Amino acid sequence: MGIIRLTVLALIALTALTSCTQVRPWERGYLAREEMAWDSDVLERQLNDHIFFSKEASSGGNSAAGGGCGCN
Amino acid sequence: MKSKHSRSLIAISTSALALPGIAQADAPPTAPTLSYKISNYQEDDLTREQVPFGELGRYDIDVHQFQYVAPLGRDFALFIDANHEDMSGASPWFSTANAAGEPVINMSGASGIRDERSELSIGTRYYSQNGNFGGAVGYSEENDYRATYANLSGSRNFNNDLTTVTLGFSHSADDIFPTDAELFNRVQNEDKRATSLAVSLSQVINRVATFQTALSITEQSGFLSDPYKLQDSRPDNKTQIAFSNSLRYFFIEADGALQANYRYYHDDFGISSHTLDLSWFQNINRSFQVAPMLRYYSQSAADFYTNIDDFLKPLTEPQSSDYRLSAFGAFSGGINLIADFGDWTATLTAERYVANEKYSVYAVNQPSPALVQFVRLSLGVDYSF
Repeated sequence: MGIIRLTVLALIALTALTSCTQVRPWERGYLAREEMAWDSDVLERQLNDHIFFSKEASSGGNSAAGGGCGCN
Repeated sequence: MKSKHSRSLIAISTSALALPGIAQADAPPTAPTLSYKISNYQEDDLTREQVPFGELGRYDIDVHQFQYVAPLGRDFALFIDANHEDMSGASPWFSTANAAGEPVINMSGASGIRDERSELSIGTRYYSQNGNFGGAVGYSEENDYRATYANLSGSRNFNNDLTTVTLGFSHSADDIFPTDAELFNRVQNEDKRATSLAVSLSQVINRVATFQTALSITEQSGFLSDPYKLQDSRPDNKTQIAFSNSLRYFFIEADGALQANYRYYHDDFGISSHTLDLSWFQNINRSFQVAPMLRYYSQSAADFYTNIDDFLKPLTEPQSSDYRLSAFGAFSGGINLIADFGDWTATLTAERYVANEKYSVYAVNQPSPALVQFVRLSLGVDYSF
């Protein structure tokens, strides 16, 4: 399946990156900023997930799904 | 969003511990935070051309979200989420052809729908030097729907904490008991199950960039049809796969950050989709941030989608005129204004969403006349104790 192949390729590419990247702890100030977080506003993300889940056919992504609702 | 005080602490501790973080922060919260967000979601009315008879108004929803996050000892955190929604309006009931043979919508009920949804979830998380592990249980109830769910996830950091692997699992058991079931010959009591598994890998690229790739697989089984639609019958099993990639990049000279997310989705109803969303977080000064966002979405149609219901087709065969199963594209744009007043943070959000079959990257053989447009306004407040 194409999606599995894509995932494996992405994982290999990321694994390759791990061998060449060295960012020292004291160089990680920008990475620690709130706007750099994967989930910088949890309530906003939860609301968006809920709205798009009820108006579009797609769901899922970075995390395992929560509970369903009668909206879809 | 946390206060400047806790932001600084997190920045220092994160930098010192050198943790890239992924789904959750990699250190327990330093202080309790209470968050509240109120939102209004309003769909545009349909036109008399789309709906020859009856209601034109669609959903109008008020949403209240609460979250309490607090440290529990040195290594644990507590998460409590509570949500409440008030819904009113009408939704498409069935689809017929007009005199010209084009699909038109018939809306549900002369007086529309009124419903409420309340949800509560409680979770905890343990943080160690090289990762975290936690879970939550939740319950959601509406007049006609009940969901009980649980999830578990854990992250582990490697490679001098530049690489993080996360594994997540969730299960939801839902009950469906439609209102006016006997009057409209609807199902009376059905159930649905959803089990989901997700794995993600995040990698620090350099001192201003991180990347994450993730795969999630969800299995749904049970009653997957819409009990309020007159002619709706869907398979009772569905497998969903989503492949996501995210980038965070900080532009030092501009003092702003780019958040970019892309997701490819496929399920065995025959629907595939692409989602791309971009946000730019511009720091104005130490207290204000402006964050415009743009999102593009496009999906293909389900194998059994029809834009004109065939009432002669037996319900043993899969069929649905639900616009959410049609091929379409959608653009949404919005802006977040974020003000940080020390212990208080306020966020104002405005968003406009427009779906249209013309925006689709997939072939549209049967366009739906019921695609949705909406406006959403939110005001959020966080207080750190």
